[in-house]
Amino acid sequence: MLIELDNTTKIYNQGKPNEVTALHGVNLQIEGRTMVCLQGASGSGKSTLLAIIGCVFPPTSGRASIAGKQLSRMPDRFLTIHRREKIGFIFQQFNLLPRLSVLDNITLPLLPLGISPRERKTKARKLLGQLSISHRENFPAGQISGGEMQRVAIARALINNQPIILADEPTAHLDSRLSMEFMQIMTDLKASGKTIIIASHDTLVSEHPAIDKIINIKDGRIDVP
Amino acid sequence: MRPSHTLFIFLLLLIIIDGMLYLHAKRLSKDLKEDQAIQAIAVAGLGLTDLGVATEARYTRHPAVSDPMAPFMDHPGAIEHFPTGSFWSAPTNMFSQKY
Amino acid sequence: MLPKGLEKQLNILDFSLTSLWRRKLKNLSIMLVFALVIFLLGSFQMLTGALTSSAEAVLENTPEITIQKMSAGRQEAIPLAYIEKLRSIYGIRAVIPRIWGYYFDESNLANFTILALELGSMPFDSNLNLTLAHGHFPKKTEPGTAVIGRSVQDILGLDKRRTFSLFRPDLSLKSFKVVGVFSQQTDLLSNDLIVMNLTDARDLFGIPVSMATDLCIYVANPTEIETIAKKIAVLLPDTRVLTKSQIQKTYQVVFSWRSGLASICLLTALVAFAILAWDKASGLSPEEKREIGILKILGWETGDILAVRFWESTLVSALAFIIGCTAAYIHVAFFDASLLKAVMVGWSVIHPPFKLLPSVTLADLLLIFTFSVLPFLGATVIPAWRCATVPPDSVIR
Repeated sequence: MLIELDNTTKIYNQGKPNEVTALHGVNLQIEGRTMVCLQGASGSGKSTLLAIIGCVFPPTSGRASIAGKQLSRMPDRFLTIHRREKIGFIFQQFNLLPRLSVLDNITLPLLPLGISPRERKTKARKLLGQLSISHRENFPAGQISGGEMQRVAIARALINNQPIILADEPTAHLDSRLSMEFMQIMTDLKASGKTIIIASHDTLVSEHPAIDKIINIKDGRIDVP
Repeated sequence: MRPSHTLFIFLLLLIIIDGMLYLHAKRLSKDLKEDQAIQAIAVAGLGLTDLGVATEARYTRHPAVSDPMAPFMDHPGAIEHFPTGSFWSAPTNMFSQKY
Repeated sequence: MLPKGLEKQLNILDFSLTSLWRRKLKNLSIMLVFALVIFLLGSFQMLTGALTSSAEAVLENTPEITIQKMSAGRQEAIPLAYIEKLRSIYGIRAVIPRIWGYYFDESNLANFTILALELGSMPFDSNLNLTLAHGHFPKKTEPGTAVIGRSVQDILGLDKRRTFSLFRPDLSLKSFKVVGVFSQQTDLLSNDLIVMNLTDARDLFGIPVSMATDLCIYVANPTEIETIAKKIAVLLPDTRVLTKSQIQKTYQVVFSWRSGLASICLLTALVAFAILAWDKASGLSPEEKREIGILKILGWETGDILAVRFWESTLVSALAFIIGCTAAYIHVAFFDASLLKAVMVGWSVIHPPFKLLPSVTLADLLLIFTFSVLPFLGATVIPAWRCATVPPDSVIR
């Protein structure tokens, strides 16, 4: 099992007056090479669940095993390294650095790894070619279209050959044509062996044939239908 | 070109400029030694006590031998010597009148 | 192929440089202000250090003891009769009376220094003619002659003419013939100088034959200077006794931090950097926080982000420091320290050329560094620590 959460709880500000329990004893299993859609309203704990799966922080209690590593009691530094190696993020707002070029945005995850500029550019250009945006290589990321930004975000999520892709509302700012294109890319990635988790309200996503499983989260608990 | 390489080239340029200035300083030092030898003769032969830089007031022209009252006004109508007065501080030998 | 560790640091350096360049207007402005303040401080230190060194080098030969008569705290003419009294002190080799003072030329607003002494009477005045570009010093048998400094020559228009006149106290004119001009090499000392015979100086200033401006004393044994000075002070209580070491010490402190302009320069630097530091420490902008959140979630460790901030600050401050100091040297060495010179010579119309070796000492560089670079670098510690507290999940929400 690639992703396994066993009785996972996450409490923010534990012991303080503003203590909040975002996840209550969540149990979750996701196999490798699958595409999962995560659905939940705002405040349901969806972002917290994504953060734990994304190795951003460990759970407060319970077990969380992501890509073979237990997150509980893992120091921050190792968490960062594990996240860097295993998780690729695609954000709702794309979260590109607008004044940086497309190429530089894509290679951002590689800078702390001590990879030479030539090697970084080679990897990035390969992905740009696969995603058909090679012609935007040197453009500032803030000056390309929404669809192109989406592809750049995907390329950045794949640059380190991460096995798990986490996408948070990736189609929120895209029209239906671009949303279909995005889902096609995800389908191709799944076929190549990636595990993809998409948090989305978009029915275009949840009803896509490539989706293997839909997980609903409500009030910090997995809603079992 | 890599940004760090551009930086290194710029730093190299600065090092070259500073290197040339260093060589200039060496040559100037040599020239000045000759000048200072002549100046020393003037000082010894004429009993000079000060550099003639600011001739505006006696305590700026001759700070070493001006009397302690010199930095202060000679009379209420005397104009304050600004900015030289703030550049040349009062003679310190007025603080060490141990004789 | 570089080692991974070095490649990583170069990558971070590249990112820092592009980060600085992305906000180039702001960062170049900061660097410019920084460099300007360092330039100001550096110029001041180099110029005053150079003048102090020059003074140290040449005032080695200043008279061993100088006696001035004091009255009501002010200097006045000293009676020559005091020379007789000094004969009772053992160890005095020579006592040379001098007349010197200032002549204000109203038409040109120039203050000249008039100096008169019996040439040939000073113990160390051999080769004095080497200080002249041409001509000779006034002889005793040549009344009405003078040797002038180059600025005096310029101001009085004495390139073609050889004679000039000065006013006596009763407003009658006294003529002088120029028999020599000081050489360019002595400009720093002789620029405003007019050297004449004692008789002529008495005539010009109206000083009686029995008086002089001060007395220069030379001793047989230089190690006895302080002892003899004390004896003179006891013997002549209404005089001020200045030793060579006191005169030399003047120039070690005349440009001290207490002098007004030095304080202004240092204070300006401090205030400028307090403002900069406040700006840096006042927190991260939303854009900066977002950027840090993105980098963290992409796998950048807190240490890497701190390294970027550190490099950014170091680059700005180090480059500003080098550029500021280099510009300061060039300003003093090649441009006559013209920005500061105007302040230093004040309203005087006589401007000596500053052929000076800018003083670049480790102590001065450290002082400038401490008042500029360190506060700026220190100010990055606080916001850098703050960047460590930006949670990576801030970009997920």
